[in-house]
Amino acid sequence: MVWPLAAALVYALVVHFGGRTVLDPYYAILLVTIGINITLAVSLNMVNGFTGQFSMGHAGFLAVGGYACGIVTYYGSAKVFGSTAMRQGQLCGMPLETAGLPFLGGGEWFFLLALLVGGLVAAGLGYIVGLPSLRLRGDYLAIVTLGFGEIVRVVIQQSGKVIKAGGGKSAEQLIRDAPLYTLPGSVGGSLGFDNLPKYTSLFWAHLAAAATVLVAYRLKSSTYGRAFLSIREDEVAAEAMGVNTTKFKVRAFVLAAFFAGVAGGLYGSTLGVALSPVDAGFQKSFDIIIMVVLGGLGSISGAVVAAVVVTLLPEWLRGVAEYRMIIYALTLILLMIFRPQGLLGVREAWEMPLLRKWMGGKRGGT
Amino acid sequence: MGNALAPEVDGREAGRNVSGAVLDISGVCKSFGGLKAVQSFSLRLGPGDLQGLIGPNGAGKTTCFNLLTGVYRPDAGSITLCGTQIVGMRPNSIARCGMSRTFQNIRLFGDLSVLDNVRVGGHLRVRHSMFSAILRSAGSRASEAAMRRRAMSLLTFFGLADRADEVARNLPYGDQRKLEIARALATEPTVLLLDEPAAGMNSGEKVALRDMIRRVRDEFKVTVLLIEHDMGLVMDICERITVLDYGETIAAGTPAEVQANPKVIEAYLGAEEGVHA
Repeated sequence: MVWPLAAALVYALVVHFGGRTVLDPYYAILLVTIGINITLAVSLNMVNGFTGQFSMGHAGFLAVGGYACGIVTYYGSAKVFGSTAMRQGQLCGMPLETAGLPFLGGGEWFFLLALLVGGLVAAGLGYIVGLPSLRLRGDYLAIVTLGFGEIVRVVIQQSGKVIKAGGGKSAEQLIRDAPLYTLPGSVGGSLGFDNLPKYTSLFWAHLAAAATVLVAYRLKSSTYGRAFLSIREDEVAAEAMGVNTTKFKVRAFVLAAFFAGVAGGLYGSTLGVALSPVDAGFQKSFDIIIMVVLGGLGSISGAVVAAVVVTLLPEWLRGVAEYRMIIYALTLILLMIFRPQGLLGVREAWEMPLLRKWMGGKRGGT
Repeated sequence: MGNALAPEVDGREAGRNVSGAVLDISGVCKSFGGLKAVQSFSLRLGPGDLQGLIGPNGAGKTTCFNLLTGVYRPDAGSITLCGTQIVGMRPNSIARCGMSRTFQNIRLFGDLSVLDNVRVGGHLRVRHSMFSAILRSAGSRASEAAMRRRAMSLLTFFGLADRADEVARNLPYGDQRKLEIARALATEPTVLLLDEPAAGMNSGEKVALRDMIRRVRDEFKVTVLLIEHDMGLVMDICERITVLDYGETIAAGTPAEVQANPKVIEAYLGAEEGVHA
């Protein structure tokens, strides 16, 4: 069926053009962050929520995707177009003076390609990491994935300097002269990959979010989603019913890594963000886990709501300055005490008794 | 059912050939450290058989089921299911080959709905790919619809259709046992292993269960191997019984033969006096 895909596209366009006219840059970037966080939370939910495996290295995939995407948009751009500058159209980037730009400036297709590269590299790595480690259970898997994120962080830290203009030569010239194989290793080390063209816009962030939600929902409501959930419920019984548990865990893991990679590409290309090794660290992974647990493990709408809340809450609390993080932490603690299953538990928003009753009432009841 | 000398009419009977065992177990052994849990266990199940596996607590019955379904790998011996050697296969592959089971301590997917539990069982027979499920192609929708219909007809058979949307863990105990059987049948097995289906049931429920097991065997054309503690039930419905004690097969035969076997009486009652058969 095509219409949900069309709906996702329309949604992203509405958010993009609507948001751009209504919001000032600060809120526009916040809205971009919400889109990225929805993508991250919903994708991690496929592993931690659907199959019940506890992955703690999601940020590792985020970083890998971000760097892979950045290599394409920076070095790739220099090789293909002969310029590291952004090729802007109406659908790309956050600056608000867009009058006179073409609707599709060429950069859109290029960025889409870069995002897919980011996603695929992350997915490939997800497969390599997932295949051996998903045979482990519970705590062991958590430790392995945590270690994976740290390895990614350290490896990126060891990378060489970004090739920038200097010594009287332009960046394009230097990139042309550098051997091809050195380019993926020149991503800035601990200083970060900071001079990427900032392609990410409301359109791309929310298109990715909508696509992730769509894929997650269709999976969950299909026989494959039920196979995922059966692993979470009882692995022995799932296996006895013919579910190849290892294969399905790896599938969920790879799919989640793909979307995390796409989200990473979006994140690294957001205005004001300097992609750095810290983004692969456990701090970032925990942020994503918080969203998934807060929303309710297994609930897609819960992950969406939690991604929005977790993005906005620290911003709202800016008014109380130094107490901000204390209040944020306390809110999370209280929520876990009074609602340990998360905001929505395993259910979706439209399955909640309250909403059902309300919707049933509106239809005239049954 | 029916006269044994009557011409064989139904499909299950017609599929039987002289040597054709659906499940052929021979010389299966399993030790855990020094404990010999199962020793040279052999059993043949023909198409449509309804056999029982009994023995005192700890005799190795559930271990046998775990060996058959691939949860444990036998140390020695061979297990052939419909002509395929299944020793060393993973449980999901064995399920694909046509063996399904229920669990002694119910293992439903508690947070999933009753219908979804059965549909997980049906996943095995699904043809469409995960990719087409994401794209929701016409083929995947047809396949999902067919799966739903099959699951609902199974639930109707077990009288659970009106509880299809309930969460499985909220079902009463007896219904949970039935749901486990329904889920196992959704995999379209040739051999169905039932691990103490009557555990925790009252006598009225047991009578209903006895009829249900027979109906399952006849309607779904499955071969049934039953572990049960309730002697009345086993003696009543099983055509052949194998008795285990400390991992060893101490007797095998018709209910009457087994009941008269002194070794069985000793295993169950311990002492020579007190034999009432």
